[in-house]
Amino acid sequence: MKKVNIFAWFIFILGIFYFFLPLFATLEFSLRMKKGVYSFEAFRVAFEDPKFYQNFGYSFLWAVLTIIFSLLLVVPTAYWVHWKLQKIRPLVEFITLMPFVTPAVVLVFGLIRLYGKPPLNLTPTPIPLIAGYIILSFPYMYRSVDSGLRAIDIRTLTEAALSMGAGWGTIISQVIFPNIRVAILSGVFLTFAIVMGEFTFASLLSWPAFGPYMEEIGSMRAYTPQALSLVSFGLTWFSMMIMQSLGRGAKGEEQIAVAH
Amino acid sequence: MAFLEINNVSKTFGKTTAVKDFNLKVEKGELVSFLGPSGCGKTTTLRMVAGFEVPSSGEIIIDGKDVTYEPPNRRPVGMVFQSYALFPNMNVAANIGFGLKIAKRSREEINQRVNEMLELIHMPGYGNRYPHQLSGGQQQRVALARALAMHPEVLLLDEPLSALDAKIRVSLRGEIRSIQRELGITTVYVTHDQEEALSISDRVVVMNNAQIEQIGPPFEIYNFPQTEFVAQFVGTLNAVNAEVVDPKAKILKFEGQQLQTAFSLDKLHSGDKVMIAIRPERLSFASQEKKANILKGKVQNITFLGAVVRIQIGIDSLNFYMDTFNNPYLALPKIGEDVEITCSAEAVLALKERKESQG
Ligand SMILES: Nc1ncnc2c1ncn2[C@@H]1O[C@H](COP(=O)(O)OP(=O)(O)OP(=O)(O)O)[C@@H](O)[C@H]1O
Ligand SMILES: [Mg+2]
Repeated sequence: MKKVNIFAWFIFILGIFYFFLPLFATLEFSLRMKKGVYSFEAFRVAFEDPKFYQNFGYSFLWAVLTIIFSLLLVVPTAYWVHWKLQKIRPLVEFITLMPFVTPAVVLVFGLIRLYGKPPLNLTPTPIPLIAGYIILSFPYMYRSVDSGLRAIDIRTLTEAALSMGAGWGTIISQVIFPNIRVAILSGVFLTFAIVMGEFTFASLLSWPAFGPYMEEIGSMRAYTPQALSLVSFGLTWFSMMIMQSLGRGAKGEEQIAVAH
Repeated sequence: MAFLEINNVSKTFGKTTAVKDFNLKVEKGELVSFLGPSGCGKTTTLRMVAGFEVPSSGEIIIDGKDVTYEPPNRRPVGMVFQSYALFPNMNVAANIGFGLKIAKRSREEINQRVNEMLELIHMPGYGNRYPHQLSGGQQQRVALARALAMHPEVLLLDEPLSALDAKIRVSLRGEIRSIQRELGITTVYVTHDQEEALSISDRVVVMNNAQIEQIGPPFEIYNFPQTEFVAQFVGTLNAVNAEVVDPKAKILKFEGQQLQTAFSLDKLHSGDKVMIAIRPERLSFASQEKKANILKGKVQNITFLGAVVRIQIGIDSLNFYMDTFNNPYLALPKIGEDVEITCSAEAVLALKERKESQG
């Protein structure tokens, strides 16, 4: 018993170092803006820039839009694949792996070539950006939802709901969604994290976002980017925590709906 | 006119024929069970009644209305699944009230009906529990209540007790039957457990290989099976190939021994092949009073089954099973002993060969 414990602790501490050492080093560096003393000068400079808030806000907006449309696309698709179209499952899984196979740069140039001129000139709208982000999030979103669906017997639950007169909207929103909520949340978090830090798409499609902004600051200053990356880290975590608590609340309401 | 009619229904999946020429009329308030081995098409037939599968041909009529192509959510049908299929995110009350909520009934009506249903399944006070806080038997009772809450015209149950242990299975099947009688609801019950089918049904439909073998009340199915399959599948049976000796005197022979049957052999001729079937409980040891219809054999094995003792008797190359009630003060023969057994002529069924004509 003792030995196992020590080994487990060793791995745990190793993990802590692996994750937190870079963060700590970044923090340490960001505090050295003033010669000879540790100060939060770099943070002050970072927060003073109004473009920081703007770009962060944009990225947040892109992330939320991506999550909404990605859910609308992925949940019904994954559900339908489980329920009726088991046969095309390998194909769907292959498609969702696209961003691992095709580099973002290739993807974005493809989008620009296809949608950057008539008949379908979409580049003035954020549609290609969001669409691209949805594709980037596929592997995480689809896989999370898929594993959630695997964990419940959706076929029988669907049939049970159907035999009680439920329509598809009710089935998805009241039976399927609440039961794969946790899986969906994990897909949502991953998508959020990816979009918040994304650079290629935003930069090449020329939309304001946090990624290009950091890159811009990084090429001009030494200490501020370190502060910024820590701040973005913290904010992303904070946003995730908020989303998680929102998710919890929604669940509680659903469950007591018909109770007395 | 029957309440539920399944007329000439067939269903094929690619090259597999799951159900073939299925014909059944179920009266209002009747409980009919489908009994048969795995893969014989019971579930498929039930799912066609529920609307989850569309028949390849034929029609399904509920209360005079053709519902063959109606989607499941527009049929007046309640369904109970083997795996309970309660919604894990909803408590018991919400599960039972689900259909009523969809039908936009008032909150008071839903609450009242949910409470009624909880009474019906003897689980008042369980409304706020979640499915994972219930035993399998309780979950299935809630599933039953949920299926009944909408007052469906037809109740369908697909092996509802298969996932439960033996004791609960027996008590719950009694409960299902009494609720079914109380509500007078037309019910189709799928099972592969013959005891279950015999004990709760008004009529049993025995299926094999996508087809109906026999339809009849449990008593008839058990005592007068019409095909070899039914005889074999329902209960234990001694079945041997025999030859007609004298159709007038109703004498048959096998392995050099003769038996008389009480059933008519009019359509047969001397030398025709038939199958003899005798239930183990109809056999007994020959005695002074019982000297007709004697078979000579040797005791091979004795199995104590509790209420019943099953004695295996070898008659030439054949094995016969004979059941006697357990009696601690009665001496049983020894293994290897020569014995004479007998049965009344009424116990000797002569079965027709398997009907292949339709297949
Ligand atoms: N969706 C389907 N696609 C292809 N074949 C199917 C499908 N559903 C059932 N079958 C086939 O139809 C036949 C009958 O199946 P069914 O499920 O009705 O049997 P069952 O009598 O309910 O058996 P069990 O006692 O094992 O539940 C089987 O051979 C099965 O493989
Ligand atoms: Mg089945």
